[in-house]
Amino acid sequence: MKTCPHKKQIGIVGVPPLAIIEQLEADGDTIFDLDEPIVKRDIEIASSYLPRVFCAILRTVVINAISLKPDRIYIDVGPGKCDCALHTATILKDILPETIIATTRNQDKKDFGTPLCTSRMPLLDKVSAITRSVQSARPHKDLPACAPTAGFWGVPPRDFSLLSLFPDTTHVYGWTRCMENKTPDHQSLEELCNPDIPTVFFAQSFCAKTALARHLANRHPHGLYVDCDVTAGNSTKAKIQAFLELSSL
Amino acid sequence: MLLADFGTSYCKFWDTTTAAPLLIPTKEIKPGLKVDIATGHNGKRLASRYVNELTALARGGNVLIDADHYTLMDCGSRDIKFIRYDQGKTKNMGWNAECGASMGFTIELLERYYNLDFTTMQVPESSFSVTCGVLGMSHIFDAVVNGASEAEAVAKFVKGIALNAYNFAGSPETLYLSGGLCHNPLFVASFPCKVVCLGRFVLLQGLKVTYDGQTFS
Repeated sequence: MKTCPHKKQIGIVGVPPLAIIEQLEADGDTIFDLDEPIVKRDIEIASSYLPRVFCAILRTVVINAISLKPDRIYIDVGPGKCDCALHTATILKDILPETIIATTRNQDKKDFGTPLCTSRMPLLDKVSAITRSVQSARPHKDLPACAPTAGFWGVPPRDFSLLSLFPDTTHVYGWTRCMENKTPDHQSLEELCNPDIPTVFFAQSFCAKTALARHLANRHPHGLYVDCDVTAGNSTKAKIQAFLELSSL
Repeated sequence: MLLADFGTSYCKFWDTTTAAPLLIPTKEIKPGLKVDIATGHNGKRLASRYVNELTALARGGNVLIDADHYTLMDCGSRDIKFIRYDQGKTKNMGWNAECGASMGFTIELLERYYNLDFTTMQVPESSFSVTCGVLGMSHIFDAVVNGASEAEAVAKFVKGIALNAYNFAGSPETLYLSGGLCHNPLFVASFPCKVVCLGRFVLLQGLKVTYDGQTFS
């Protein structure tokens, strides 16, 4: 990965507060979203630092962090992220003494809107654009909303390939919607869903959000709860594919 | 049109110009075979068109079950999968290919190894805690070492598998059962609920109705 030697390498985990993103943009620093699988290394390497039975996103964070060794990592903890991130920050402080580990508690309230979540676009591209938007403090571009035929509720998955199963007219809900709105600690927005469209409620295995995902799926008139760990296996993909196919019966 | 459900131990074929489907052991399938529409774990390699197993199961169930609220489970050699309908809509589904692995395969293996007849065996009062066919076998060996008869130990294993499958399907009052284990009376009687057996060809039925709306009798 090419980086400019004069710019600081900054890792982010979760959605840091807007003020920090504005500062990073002003300084021209290079930002890496450590939640995403940037470094192609075996995730089992993280098992030296985190339990195997642990959120795959945060295991990925550790792999990225020990490989890239950024100058600084902003890791959001608390209600806008999770306790697991808080403990991961403690571990990173121990194993990366040369890196400044800065914990944040993003409780921003300014709504940026969610035009990507309701746009017509392949879901994989849509969620990729939403995660990229976290690295910018600029307002979103306007996009026309489409009539939804399906819903995806949840966090951006560790394995984006499962998003390719959804139609382009899928609306996005849950914490991913909170990400685009730049308000990761927004409980009512996170619980929002559309009861009129078949919706997949997704959470990473071993994440506390599995409880909310399953609860909302049970309450939804046409919801399916799905969780998966590092990669989405054939049975997980088959469940989503069948659910979407059968919803049009 | 040739339809096929390529299972791990048995393959089910239906030439739609004939009245009834055929059952052939998977190990007897000839190399180079190609069918028109398929489901099952080998289906993608051997067919022009592939249908997801859960989709085929659900569509077969829609034809065979006259209700808008039901749970249908397919117990195969290698995996178990279920679909639940509520008010005519898919409400939940599951496919357990890992923790539920090899249950059907293991039951058939034990029947041959111990020369048992499942049609004459009684359902035991207790069961082993079985989450996987392979791991569950150790319970049988331990029980036999401790003095239980082979038939008694295997019966507890089979009941454990049935209870595990029942829980996986959400503990329904009535369970519609698909797959070769429909023909195992010990397994069917081990469920703590009413069981309606639909036989081996539910997925083929789903393939059939998916593409031309016909049914076979």
